Amino acid sequence: MKNIKHSLYILLAFLVLSCSKTEDLQDDENRATAVSPELILTNVEVSAFNNISLSAGLASRYLTNTNGVNSNQYYNWQRSDYSTYDDLKQVSKMIEEAKRTEIEVYQILAKFFNSYFIVSLTETFGDIPYLEAINASEGNYTPAYDTQKSIYIKVLNDLKSASDQLIANDETILGDVIYDGDKLKWRKLINSYYLRILMNLSKKENVAELNIKNRFNEVFTNPSKYPIFESNDDNGALHFYNIQDNRYPLQNNNDLQTAYYLEESFVERLQDFQDPRLFTFAEKKPNGNNLPDDDFNAYGGLYGSGDLNTNVSKAVNGEASRVHPRYFNDPENEPSLLISYAEVEFILAEATVRNWINSNAVTHYKNGIQASLNFYNISETDAYLNNPKIELSTGNEIEAILTQKHIAMYLNTGWQSFFEQRRTGFPEFNTDGTGILNSGNIPKRWMYPANEATNNGENLNSAINKQFPNGDTINGEMWILK
Amino acid sequence: MKKTITLLIFGLLTTLGFSQEIISGTITDTNNVPLGGVSVSILDTPKGTVTDFDGNYEIEANSTDILVFSYIGFIVQNVPVENQTTINIVLQENTEQLSEVVVTALGIKKEKKALGYAVQEVDGESLEKAKEPNFVNSLSGKVAGLTVKNSTDLFQNPEINLRGASPLLVIDGIPDRTTDIWKVNADDIENISVLKGATASALYGSVGRNGAIMITTKKGKKGRFTVTANNSTMFQPSFIKVPEVQTTYGNGNQGSYAYVNGSGSGTEGGGWIWGPKLDQLDPTTPSGYFETPQYNSPVNPETGELVPLPFISRGKDNIENFFRTGLIQSNNISVDWGSDKASYRMSIANVYQKGIVPNTDLKNTSFTVGGSLNPSEKFSINSSLTYNKQYTNNFPEVGYGPTNYLYNLILWTGTDVDVNNLRNYWREGEEGYQQRHFNVSYYNNPYFQAYEYLRGYNKDNIFGNANFEYKITSNLSFKGRSGVNVYSLYRTYKEPKSYIGYGDKSRGNFSLQDTNYFDITSDLGFKYTNDLTEDISINAEVAYSNYYRNYSFHQSATDGLNFPGFYNLDNNSGSTLFGENIVEKETIHSFYGFVDVEFYNAFYLTFTGRNDKVSTLPENNNSFFYPSISGSVVLSSLFDLPTWTSFAKLRGSWSRVSEGKIDENNPYSHIQAYEKGTSWNGTPSTYFGSSLLDQNLKPETSDAWEIGTYLRFFNNRIGFDFAYYQSRDYNNLIYSPISETSGYNSLLLNGDVYKRKGVEFTLDFAPVRNDNFKWDTQINLSQYRRYQEEIYGGKEQTENFINVGDRTDEIYASVYQTNENGEVIFENGYPVADPYNRYIGYDEPDWTYGISNNLRYKNFNLSFLFDGRIGGLMYSTTNQKMWWGGTSPGTVNQFRDAANNGESTYIGTGVKVVSGEATYDVNGNIINDTRTYAPNDVPVNYINFMQTTSNGQNKNYHYYKETFIKLREVTLTYNFGKTILDKSPFTDLSLSLVGRNLWLSSDIPNVDPDSGTDNLQAPSTRNIGFNINAKF
Repeated sequence: MKNIKHSLYILLAFLVLSCSKTEDLQDDENRATAVSPELILTNVEVSAFNNISLSAGLASRYLTNTNGVNSNQYYNWQRSDYSTYDDLKQVSKMIEEAKRTEIEVYQILAKFFNSYFIVSLTETFGDIPYLEAINASEGNYTPAYDTQKSIYIKVLNDLKSASDQLIANDETILGDVIYDGDKLKWRKLINSYYLRILMNLSKKENVAELNIKNRFNEVFTNPSKYPIFESNDDNGALHFYNIQDNRYPLQNNNDLQTAYYLEESFVERLQDFQDPRLFTFAEKKPNGNNLPDDDFNAYGGLYGSGDLNTNVSKAVNGEASRVHPRYFNDPENEPSLLISYAEVEFILAEATVRNWINSNAVTHYKNGIQASLNFYNISETDAYLNNPKIELSTGNEIEAILTQKHIAMYLNTGWQSFFEQRRTGFPEFNTDGTGILNSGNIPKRWMYPANEATNNGENLNSAINKQFPNGDTINGEMWILK
Repeated sequence: MKKTITLLIFGLLTTLGFSQEIISGTITDTNNVPLGGVSVSILDTPKGTVTDFDGNYEIEANSTDILVFSYIGFIVQNVPVENQTTINIVLQENTEQLSEVVVTALGIKKEKKALGYAVQEVDGESLEKAKEPNFVNSLSGKVAGLTVKNSTDLFQNPEINLRGASPLLVIDGIPDRTTDIWKVNADDIENISVLKGATASALYGSVGRNGAIMITTKKGKKGRFTVTANNSTMFQPSFIKVPEVQTTYGNGNQGSYAYVNGSGSGTEGGGWIWGPKLDQLDPTTPSGYFETPQYNSPVNPETGELVPLPFISRGKDNIENFFRTGLIQSNNISVDWGSDKASYRMSIANVYQKGIVPNTDLKNTSFTVGGSLNPSEKFSINSSLTYNKQYTNNFPEVGYGPTNYLYNLILWTGTDVDVNNLRNYWREGEEGYQQRHFNVSYYNNPYFQAYEYLRGYNKDNIFGNANFEYKITSNLSFKGRSGVNVYSLYRTYKEPKSYIGYGDKSRGNFSLQDTNYFDITSDLGFKYTNDLTEDISINAEVAYSNYYRNYSFHQSATDGLNFPGFYNLDNNSGSTLFGENIVEKETIHSFYGFVDVEFYNAFYLTFTGRNDKVSTLPENNNSFFYPSISGSVVLSSLFDLPTWTSFAKLRGSWSRVSEGKIDENNPYSHIQAYEKGTSWNGTPSTYFGSSLLDQNLKPETSDAWEIGTYLRFFNNRIGFDFAYYQSRDYNNLIYSPISETSGYNSLLLNGDVYKRKGVEFTLDFAPVRNDNFKWDTQINLSQYRRYQEEIYGGKEQTENFINVGDRTDEIYASVYQTNENGEVIFENGYPVADPYNRYIGYDEPDWTYGISNNLRYKNFNLSFLFDGRIGGLMYSTTNQKMWWGGTSPGTVNQFRDAANNGESTYIGTGVKVVSGEATYDVNGNIINDTRTYAPNDVPVNYINFMQTTSNGQNKNYHYYKETFIKLREVTLTYNFGKTILDKSPFTDLSLSLVGRNLWLSSDIPNVDPDSGTDNLQAPSTRNIGFNINAKF
């Protein structure tokens, strides 16, 4: 009997030992519940600056695709999504952590990122929630929609106040993978981006509330208070590294190697201009393989709106160039640009032409081209800059500036060059090929995400009714374009 | 203790001293059918035997002994030996009561007639012969309501659904929360009891909410010392389903192909199988066939160019040439012995599976010891411990992509490539750095993949339990039980340089993962039994239970390898190693109890209650109570039913079970925290997740009820079991979608209400039962449905377009626009995508069934099982990719020939819009439609069309009917008769021919619908082999 008792005690002891209170296991050892704001800044920066997009390349008539009828190339795309709101949420968490740790500088930078993300959303859809957005933690799950106009006004005010606040701020910016904490460069970025936003609003230059011309002038004439980009060193650029998850996003992309070819009208324009950037953008076409690399005839493209069958047979017959192999072979390749010095110069050129500022359009125009050529490590630039074909002559200024801007934005700067073309109509994106869809129209926007109809239907519905008489379609014209 | 042993030996000796006679005889039932397996024992001694297949037995006994003959379903008979040497017995069927005993929750054995819920049993013997790599596959079709969706891939878990949800696995009363179905050896299984509803398994608490598969392992049996050996050898010589691809056209695009360097670009055709026609005569070439440069072309030494080779269908037998005959070999030896005081069993088992892919296998070894001790009448203790090891150096990657064998072998390889020519898989001069293949951007050489890309798996499991019962008084016992699960798992991934993943050409990589797991479940309580009066008895238990789990995981990986073939973290070529670790701890404290009451042998009632306190919910809501009640009425004991009714029972139950764990795999889901982000050039980052947590999370709850009958007719020859159940799931812990503009895509909260319901029928009958021939049939049939009863926030529709009241398995797919007549609308010859998803069918089958037959003629036993499903849709990646890539036999037609010549001749069936337009509301309903149509008349290039549409509009967007019937299992066994056995060392010997997965009839082409999903599954093999079972 003693043995039995002993074995019972042992079993009981085993039971007691295995006990652990539920209260003691309420902490997750794998995740942090509070972090320092710079950890979120890194994430937000990568998300904002990493914008390489093949879809944008197709829609902007840089590239074509031969793997079937591509909706970006043939202009019958449908919806986009709201994933950028998650970026806005990360920004709001950064603000929250910055308030907790009482560091102001991240709250200032947050104004820029908020502006950048909300602009990319409104450029995509039209009216979208902003003032009531990112408020789920306060119980608002169905934010009301704000008009595009009110969003732009808020963005302009926020950017200006961020720029002003940064002047006086003496805190250190950590976790900064763009400018490594250089606050002057941040001010230049914010001011330069402010100019882009004003230019986005070029069709609204007479709307008094926006006060576009004065705002533009205020920056341009006050370089000490509102410094802007002065060289490629200032570029808002995310560099890639030969480290897992840090590599150039198109590296190793199989489709890029086998089904993407340059667009014919783009190639012909570069050939026409004798633009040396063609040699860094593209690979020689198979039929041109025996020609020297710098022979413009060695390159070719497929017609963006052309019949797929014709395009594919041209590709199979070796008449089309792929992108330059560095895009799929080089893990670092080139940085992704949020906004570049070249773009700023083109903005200044356009502003001069539009009489917003008093300056020399040709100088800005040539500075922009020069900066773009330098970005691609082309040092011999005189011949090109003096080429009469690209001369800025009266009457064609806007077209010439926008055409150069388009070339400079090849496979960088996200969807900006598509938006620029949408705003100005330059350069012309061909829709006359027999393969074109969407009844030959270039879409002006994207349909709202399908799940928004289930989750915020009432607000969405009233936003659509206010903006688009034909409902939520890709051809609807948003405020900024009217 | 010493004294006891001496006494025991003395007792044995004295027994031996008496003269013993050998008593023999035959046992039959009232129809004179011999009964095998009848237990014959001597009263008050441990001695006993069982009748053989012909109902014969032999036992040594004294004239003073009393023989006890007992058999389930029959009345026990006690017969004094006296002077007899032959005792033949006719056992009477116990028609009044069916005293079948089944194992229920916590391992408690109960009479089947007393159960208020559905339980179905599978005898371990039926798993012994027709071997599968794991025991769950063998359950297919055998239990109504249990759907096993078998995977065709090596070492992949089948999907197990019990009444539409994933059940708990319980081994000897201890829940196995790791649900490792590979660690239990089929030869060690005495019996499997499937507890179908929440009521049945409510005592397990929340983990038992979806029912349970209860495994009782074999224990030492009282009686003689027995050695059992079992060998089963199954070959996989052929396929019942394998994708059939066209062999008319080869690699390339738009009808042309010329190899350059394997990049896939240019004349290599982008990896498509839309190339030139094969085997085309061309009198101008040396071979007489059309010739083009290919990957194995020799280089012309003068020109340095590739020499064109004939473009012929040399790879027609690539499947047969690459895959080999698979093998599943199971061996088991066990010994067992037992007496009144102790029993012991030891078992060693090994399962070796050779995969059909070269250089893949799986080894699974188990060692089990178990026993019981009854040192006194008051105290008993049982324990068992198993060590199990699952290990392989390489098993195949599954899922669609370049890591899949069929992907590289036929789906994306034209017949112009002969796999036999790929055995030499390194490119000359680049050994270790560059694989040799016809396309080295998109695809892997299958031999390179098999011999160089290695996925190792090494898992050591230890699991066991110990339990005791101490009788304080004759009515009251103190009992306890503790069970542990421990495992450590070490996995390695060796990726050679130039290995192709999606969009990634490997720089060579090595990664390893270490997992350590420990859990312990302990119960301690009291048991009370009392027959209050002759007609009322009571049985009750209360207990405290504790569960604790500790899981840790660590992973390290290189970022490229310096030199090839050396798989070690030291060989990392990147600047840093990638590492991750996870630690998880969880505990549940519970009190539970139950009361069984029995009246007049006809009414049975059970009440259960349990309170859980969990660590996986916030502290304010983490303790919760839930009850159940179940009962049954044996009508045949109450009323005088017609004589053809042998037994009739009605049963019913209600239960509430709550669950306090949000994510099965993460005990910390109720904690809102930051996630680790991607670090940029060494700068770390974090981000905040996309779900916001409700601060008042409480457990989710299911209220379930069930009614059923169990009827037996005509002397038990026909049995019928019926169950109907309904469950209302509420307070569900869901990620309720919210507008993403709010910053989060979902809220984790308690919401939504679902109703689950279903019916199950089991019919068994014995059409023939006579001396030599016995035929038993069992039919299982079940249906399961789930409905959306409420949507959180009062929404009309979920994000998946399910309306309140709809079945939740409605499929809304991305489709093309159609007009009011259902005709597809085309623009420029291509169908126009519909921006709104549309309903195309249901996912779940209407019925799941199994029909098993067992025929016994003299010493032969033939059993076969058909099973299948009726209705439901499944998406097929294989079929979609075949139409897309150009390998579908349906693409062999005149349009394709025309496309190869650059002509556009294909006109899709449908209409084009001539004028007008349609406007939609936000939900996709047409508000205004002014469109007019004309038939589509725009010819397009057939190849472009397929590459754009995958023929979706003609193939129901590749959602296919899941309906199928399968000959799951055939076993032909010969049991050696007594006359032969007497001359041999064996007491029992059987030899079986076994076939599994023999025949399939289904609607869906190219894939086996058994697994319920198709993401490019491995070919479905036919398994044929034999089994030898011997007892000494």
